[in-house]
Parts: sequence; structure tokens; C-alpha cells
Amino acid sequence: MSEDLKNKQMELRDLLPMEINGWKVAEEDREFNPETIFDYIDGAGEVYRAYNFEKLLSRHYFKKGQPKIVADVFDMGTSADAFGVFTHDLEGEDLGIGQGSTYNGGLLSFWKDRFFLSLYAEEETAQAKKALIALGKSIADSIPKNGEKPRIVSFLPEEGLLEKSIHYFHNHIILNYHLFVADENILFLDQKTEAALTTYSLQEEKSILLCIIYHDSEKALHAYKSFIQAYMPDASEEGLVKTEDNKWTAAKLQEDLLIVVFNAPTYFSAKEMIQKVLELRNQK
Amino acid sequence: MKKRIITRRDFLKVAALTPLAGAVPFSVYSNQAKVTKKEILKSRVVLIRDKDALMASGSPNQEIIQKMLDEAVTTLLGGNDPVACWKTLIKPNDIVGIKSNVWSYIPTTKEVEQAIWRRVRDAGVPENNIGIDDRGVRRNPVFQNATALINARPARTHHWSGMGSCIKNYITFVPRPSAHHGNSCADLAKIWTDYNLKDKTKLNILVMLTPLFHGIGPHHYSQKYVWDYKGLIVGTDPVAVDATGLRVLEAKRREFFGEERGLQPPAKHILLADTRHHLGTSDPEKIELIKLGWEESRLI
Repeated sequence: MSEDLKNKQMELRDLLPMEINGWKVAEEDREFNPETIFDYIDGAGEVYRAYNFEKLLSRHYFKKGQPKIVADVFDMGTSADAFGVFTHDLEGEDLGIGQGSTYNGGLLSFWKDRFFLSLYAEEETAQAKKALIALGKSIADSIPKNGEKPRIVSFLPEEGLLEKSIHYFHNHIILNYHLFVADENILFLDQKTEAALTTYSLQEEKSILLCIIYHDSEKALHAYKSFIQAYMPDASEEGLVKTEDNKWTAAKLQEDLLIVVFNAPTYFSAKEMIQKVLELRNQK
Repeated sequence: MKKRIITRRDFLKVAALTPLAGAVPFSVYSNQAKVTKKEILKSRVVLIRDKDALMASGSPNQEIIQKMLDEAVTTLLGGNDPVACWKTLIKPNDIVGIKSNVWSYIPTTKEVEQAIWRRVRDAGVPENNIGIDDRGVRRNPVFQNATALINARPARTHHWSGMGSCIKNYITFVPRPSAHHGNSCADLAKIWTDYNLKDKTKLNILVMLTPLFHGIGPHHYSQKYVWDYKGLIVGTDPVAVDATGLRVLEAKRREFFGEERGLQPPAKHILLADTRHHLGTSDPEKIELIKLGWEESRLI
């Protein structure tokens, strides 16, 4: 059996230890799929569905006199989606676990390969934090390989990029979660489009870059025209407009890639940002 | 008529009128609203707080909660006697469902449920015609036959709808709640008319004892983002009640983060409950807010 196939067949429960720092499993694990996830986490389930998650296993750990620890392991199907769902909430401190982690208020999240982990202590104590870190490391070690980030992330210029500002996603609900663009899906995003949104510090102003790869050039052209019509009908022929806040928005299409820059401080900075993305894309 | 698309640029246009950049400006959506007779009258909402509402253990103080509810209801309805006021809301032959919320981290609380139950009994409703339920309302005979509803739930931010609100509390009357998740739960208010709940609802109580003002992770909860506000927001208009609670959550976020940080996603279902579904009033200018009790850190 190939290594890849063995990895694909790995059971979620095998990733989790039965005991960590004196916390022990005292309940049956629970498993959820995209249909049943609402029984577990209500509306938040939509976030994981937006990233095409396949399975979730929840295991609870108990220790006398200490808060319960809830370990939720999501099989996202691909490393791109594990990375994506991790980028949904980047608030917190990176503890160097897995391929990217955050710790905040008793919650340790990280991703590795096609898995996203949420380890949560119902109350934040010093002991619980140590246990969360130990649990995170144990799980990360039991996932045998790293996964690749989505290709679109490599199109994002590094200069001026603000730390922890990259969000990778598919649909317009998640786009609007991070940046409200329009109440309708004017960019024709769906579960197969790949989008990256990030923030730059340009001339002491925050500018936002959105890159989207469509299934094909025709769909990308359709989306570009829709965006221009709904969002910037007053744009110049080259796809730039000065918006009501005296900043610049620019849109550019190259085959299946649509690039939009919001809040650029100047006309030239908007154009320059687009040019950098195109150069990076053409290098790949 | 073709539906107008609202974009980020509409928000930029009205930004000068709405200094809170993270908030959803009312005027962006207001051109969709029909001016109805009801809107001319202000919706009255009572915000009541008591510094002793929570005991040292963190549990609500039953006696104080009863007192807060009574004072809120008499103020809201312009009476002196709580029981007499409740009798204007509930008739002895009503079948009354007290719609609670059992979210494990911050529930409605037994104390609030009990305070409501007691006054419904005082209004002359027999015990067996009163039910308290949340996730079982569709199977509960009292709720199936209810002629009156009291809607009580805790205020909190919500991962998908922006805010766990009184409007949202009726999601369990729907066979498949996820069907209402579209566009971050924008049209939750439709449930109120589709399931004949609007006219049955006599009172809305947004429990602000320990609200959650920010959520993290799949469970959208951390003690770090809960604070003892020790309040109740009470009104007959669910939209006005929620809009007032939303202002408190937004103010707390501003205070905590030291910057304007709108809810993610914005709780637009509250605004649209007004402008699209005409369930009530979301515009603070059209809400008569009466503030009672403990003033310290009231935030609004």
C-alpha cells in the first residue's frame, strides 16, 4: 500500500491519545459529517462546510479539579482546506505546533496535512494550557507528513504583507465574513473557486488584495464583468476607480485569475500591486 | 423590480454619517423599508441592571432577578403592579410557551425561567398549560398548541449570524434550522411570520447577565470574552430589544479591543428584520430606551 493511501485511510481516532498530562478519556468519541455537524456546533458548522470538510471526531478529556478539554479533529479532505479553515480565525499566539498554530483564551488551533485541530479547555488554567500544548504536540507528531498550502497563496507579494492576514477560502459567505464586498455573490464564488484575501501596509495605509482562481477563463471573465458592473461601473477602461473614501480600487483579469485591490492609497500603488501578483503568478 | 445589490461602496458613501466603521449603517438598507404606521410610534425597551444580580458563585440571584423582571415589565407597560401588567399580556385561558435557550456555556438560566413562570402562573394560567423548552418545542404539546409565547434568551455573539438574538431564538421552531443559514442568517425574521410566532409573542427578554462579546473556535466560546453585565433587556418588540443588546455588545468590544471591531459577521438579521421583514424597529432613533438600575459601566 502506498504511503499516500495509508495516510488517507488513517482513522481520526488514531491521531488522538487516550491520556495527556493526567487528563483521561471518559466518554465515547463522537463523529460528525457535513450533515450532522449542526447537532454539535450549530451555525459554526457552516464554516467547516464552507471548506468542504469530510469528518469530525470529538474527544473529551477529564481530570479531577481541572476543566474539561475538548479535542475536535477535522478531516478536511485536502491540505489546502485544512490551511484554509485554519486561516478563518488567526487571532492568538503561534506556539509552533503543526504547520501553523494559534493559542488564545484556552483554545489551541493548528493545521497539519489535511487535518485541522481545535483543542479547547473549558476554563483557562496553567495546567490546562500545558496539557493543551502537550496534546497538540502529540497529535501533530502522529500526523506523518506535512501538507502543501494552496498554490494561490504563492501569488501574494511578501512586501508590506501584514502578519496573520492571509485568508484562503472558496465562497462569498466567507469572503464577506472577512471583508464585506456585496450582499449578492457578484464575484461568482463557489465551492471550487480558490480565493486568497490579505492585507498590506502601503504608505501607512491598509490595502486589501483579493485573488481568485476560477475553474476556467470563461467563468473568470463572467465574474470580472459582473464585478465591474455591480461594484465599479464608473471604473476606467483599465479597471481602476477612485472610491468614496478617496482610495483606489482596481480589478484585473488574466486568464482564470481575477485580482482585485481595495483601499489602495494611490492609483500607482493599486497598479503596482496587480503587477506584482501577475509577475509572481507567471514565475510559478 | 430588480433587487438592488448593496456593496462595500454603499457603506463608504454613508461612512461620514456613521462614525462607527464596523457597524452596519441603517441608511444603507433603509431605502428598502416601507414606512408603516407602526414605525411612527417609538418601540419601548427597558434595560435594567442590578449589581447584585449574580451571587458569588456566579449563579443568578433568584430574588433579584424576579425584582428586575417585575420592574422592567411594569415600566415597559406603564403600570405599578407586576401581576396586573402580566395580566395585560397573558389571559388565564392562554397556553403559554416560555421559549428558553439551553446553550451549555450561557443558557437563559433557571432563575430567569422561574421568574417568568411565576408571573405567568400569577396571571391565572394553570401549571399544565405552561411549558418551558428550547430544542424540543416542535415536539412539545404546550408549544404545539401555544396561544402565547414568552421569548427569553442570553445575548451573545454568534459565529454565523453575528449575534444570538431574540429573533434567532425561534430557529428551533423550524424543522431544518440550517435552511436559514444562508447569507449569514440574513432572513431569520421570516421564521416569525412563516411559523405564526409574531402575534403569539407577548414579551421578549434578552438576558444580559453574562453576555459573550466575542467568540473563538468551533464552539465560539471562551471565558475570556464573557463579562458580568448583570442586566436584562425587555420589550414587546424583538427587533428593538435585539438592536439595543447589539449596541451593548458593540460597545463592550470597543472598550475591550480599544478599537472599532464590528461583529464578524455583522448581525444583519436584526437590521433586515426591520427593513425587509417589518418585524420591529432596529433604528436606535426610533427606540425609546428606558434605563433602570445600576449605572456603572452600562456602556450605552
